[in-house]
Amino acid sequence: MTSKSEKSYIQSSLLSDAPLRADGRSLWDYRSIFLETGIIAQANGSARVNVGGTEIVAACKLEVEDVESIDGIDGGRIFCAVSCSLSAYPHLSSAAIDDIQYDLSQLLNSTLGHSSLRPSNLSILPHKRSWLLNLDCIVISDVGNIYDVLFMAARAALWDTHVPITRAIEYRAPQRTSGDAMDESGLDTRQAAQAADFELKDYWTEGDILDGRDRWPVCITLNLISSKHFLDADPREDAAVPLRLLLIFSCPNSQKPLLQGTRLIGSGEIAPSEFKSLVEAGQKYAMALTKTLHAKLQSDSLQQ
Amino acid sequence: MASFDRRRINGPEESRPPVFEDDEDAEQISVTPKTRKGRANKDIRPIFLTTGLISEGNGSSYIETEKTKIACAVYGPRQIKNEPYNEIGNLNVEVKFSPFSCSRRRAPLRDAEDRSISVLIQQSLLPSLRLELLPKSGIDVFITIIENDGVEACVASGAVAASTALADAGIEMFGLVTSCASAMVEEDIWLDPTAEETVRARASFTIACIPALGTVTNIWQTGQLTAEEAICCLEACQTCCRDIHNVMASALLNSQAAKCS
Repeated sequence: MTSKSEKSYIQSSLLSDAPLRADGRSLWDYRSIFLETGIIAQANGSARVNVGGTEIVAACKLEVEDVESIDGIDGGRIFCAVSCSLSAYPHLSSAAIDDIQYDLSQLLNSTLGHSSLRPSNLSILPHKRSWLLNLDCIVISDVGNIYDVLFMAARAALWDTHVPITRAIEYRAPQRTSGDAMDESGLDTRQAAQAADFELKDYWTEGDILDGRDRWPVCITLNLISSKHFLDADPREDAAVPLRLLLIFSCPNSQKPLLQGTRLIGSGEIAPSEFKSLVEAGQKYAMALTKTLHAKLQSDSLQQ
Repeated sequence: MASFDRRRINGPEESRPPVFEDDEDAEQISVTPKTRKGRANKDIRPIFLTTGLISEGNGSSYIETEKTKIACAVYGPRQIKNEPYNEIGNLNVEVKFSPFSCSRRRAPLRDAEDRSISVLIQQSLLPSLRLELLPKSGIDVFITIIENDGVEACVASGAVAASTALADAGIEMFGLVTSCASAMVEEDIWLDPTAEETVRARASFTIACIPALGTVTNIWQTGQLTAEEAICCLEACQTCCRDIHNVMASALLNSQAAKCS
């Protein structure tokens, strides 16, 4: 809980000519980012991110889904769920934590589950079976900037994901040799001629890299105060500056960055002209962040 | 399998909606039409907005735009018991889909999807209300969706209905909140898209703003857009919001005139 005088102190130091923050960072610095991938052996892809204390673990698990079922999509789909550990929010009731969990899951789902980001190698048997990628994130602790860290963790886990290689198999009726009625089996006439099932080609390799690696987006949270903005708020700054603009940019290699999601959160309003300059600033930060994360993820995957 | 509700008579555990012949024909049309059916890209559907639907509430409104029908009731400002003193009033928005509002029946119990719409509508309304004048009080906004034609349309019409109902209840505010949804279909911006148009679009962009002050209170975008396209969508929606504001103002003036005469 922050008092009014503390909030006013933080606001006035952010708005002053030489902006001051509690830990001496500039308005556009992130706290130190720690990122590791491949931490969970049983998952198809996993990652842990820690930004100045806010820690999130994300893991991907693939399961086979019937395309004809209610939720199935031909070509595969991604489903995201976020759960917050009770230790992350000790001062909130479980109903409030449920609400936070739900909101974070919705944001991830509507962004990462969108058809424009769907990977192309999630299909097993066209029109019959496909992979359902379950991306589960756990918020272990939250000391500010939860949205950015959540997307960083989700992105890293998806980067690390390998899809098992499958092979479609079809049943063929065995050739009937003339005059040998004993070889015919009563089941021959009932077997389908099309590919009806699949098998794992090779148990020992992890599989193909999940497609669309460079398209996964990053989230930039611009905390808005008066006409200024700053990045990576710690909890006190969060309380003092409630209005935030979330810009979720996808920066594929050598192409223009694309906005995959936008949200305005908090009590406050912005002018349309402000939105324009914020989007341009957000684009710059997103490209820089993507480049840094890309370098780290590349070196991680080469080491494995 | 439907969840078992002890307070109601449950139907059979496994049941599916019937498939009609007409539906099968409609599904086969998968080619995106290049031009919009029935109206221009920048045209919104005609809005019917009236207040005074629910006599029990302090304020209420009903909005209808083609296939989206939403009723809104406002109760407040009223005292919040069991909560510590708060010098700023509390705005609580609750949205409920009626079971018959969607093509597949929704459970009468509160659903998770209701919450995401409530959060967006609350975000749209919050900056417009003078809650600092209402310490220790709460305002409850109950929104019932009678017929649903896409989530974006629900959010936009819901915010318009809620703001009208709040004004009808006499709650002090900085200005009326109007809201408009748009969809990016290939290279064109289509305003006020229906559910089918949204599914075929590559991105949807919904804003809420206060035309009297010229500020934006809520932005919600999903899908893939470049930064320039996002800014164009914002400008298109803002222009449309000014027209919706006139509709809201005349609805409120008419209802006041009816009350006085």
